[in-house]
Amino acid sequence: MKRGGAAQFSSSAAAATSAPGRGRSQTNPERWVDEHGDPLFRYALVRVRAREVAEDLVQETLLSAMRSREKFAGQSSERGWLFGILKHKISDYFRKLGRETSFTDLESLADEFSEKFVPEGYWVHVKGPKEWKPEADEVMHRSEFWQTMHACLDKLPERIANVFMLREMEGVESKEICSMLSISESNLWVMLHRARMALRECLEINWFNREK
Amino acid sequence: MAIEAKTPNPRPPDDTSVLQPHGWPRKLLVWIISEATPKCREVVRILSEQMDRKLPLVTRCRLRLHFVACSWCERYMKQLHYLRETARRFPEHADAADGAALSPEARLRLKQTLNNS
Repeated sequence: MKRGGAAQFSSSAAAATSAPGRGRSQTNPERWVDEHGDPLFRYALVRVRAREVAEDLVQETLLSAMRSREKFAGQSSERGWLFGILKHKISDYFRKLGRETSFTDLESLADEFSEKFVPEGYWVHVKGPKEWKPEADEVMHRSEFWQTMHACLDKLPERIANVFMLREMEGVESKEICSMLSISESNLWVMLHRARMALRECLEINWFNREK
Repeated sequence: MAIEAKTPNPRPPDDTSVLQPHGWPRKLLVWIISEATPKCREVVRILSEQMDRKLPLVTRCRLRLHFVACSWCERYMKQLHYLRETARRFPEHADAADGAALSPEARLRLKQTLNNS
């Protein structure tokens, strides 16, 4: 996305916009950059995966926060409040993306993983899924696992990765994703299937089956 | 042997289930099941769909039956859950994976923008 693109779209998060003024002495927006800038940036980056977009989203967030800081009035932690705004900005970003681009890439879906199956549709024996060890709760503590996952996510085509992120990382319901991105449910399922298949394969090769 | 050639889904070698296709009755059973249920390529598509919506009872039964003869697809299903379980935790571990931070230029630009507005 172009720099500043997110700036044109700030509806829901900007719901809390009011005239700035009195709060200026208590809250210093510059301090936000130092105290919360990096966590906000990382949160955005892992979801949108492009530094410029993540930076834009942080900027939008802090600007909105500045405009609405009177309404904040310390009901929650400052960081929690800023993250709340950022989450709105991120879903706005995806909504906008859904309107601007046709979100399915059917061409690349045509011949799905043909090398994994024999023409009759069964697994090629040597390419069937391998046993995955260790269990999920064990790998959670291994930073190498997360690095591998990161690398695997980066290899997915962007739209497919976006859909996977919304569904599996954020846990957004299918119907909501469809309306967010203006795609049909069957399109969504095809894309998710593709993402899962590719990620599964990538993790199996680069993590579970790696040379030890 | 005819059934051997047509037995598309022997259990993986490291599988210890009772339905290893040894001996012709079991091979025949595996063959019947694989004829009666969707092919693996279709099964994995259905399994992915199952992560996003509840499937009709009939479809779920056919999947179960398929797993009796094909533990590759059963494994695939477990791995989809593994993916989900780990993906949910991915954002909180992103620091470990990345260690990303705002660049000094971005930090400066942010401060300037905030000051100017």
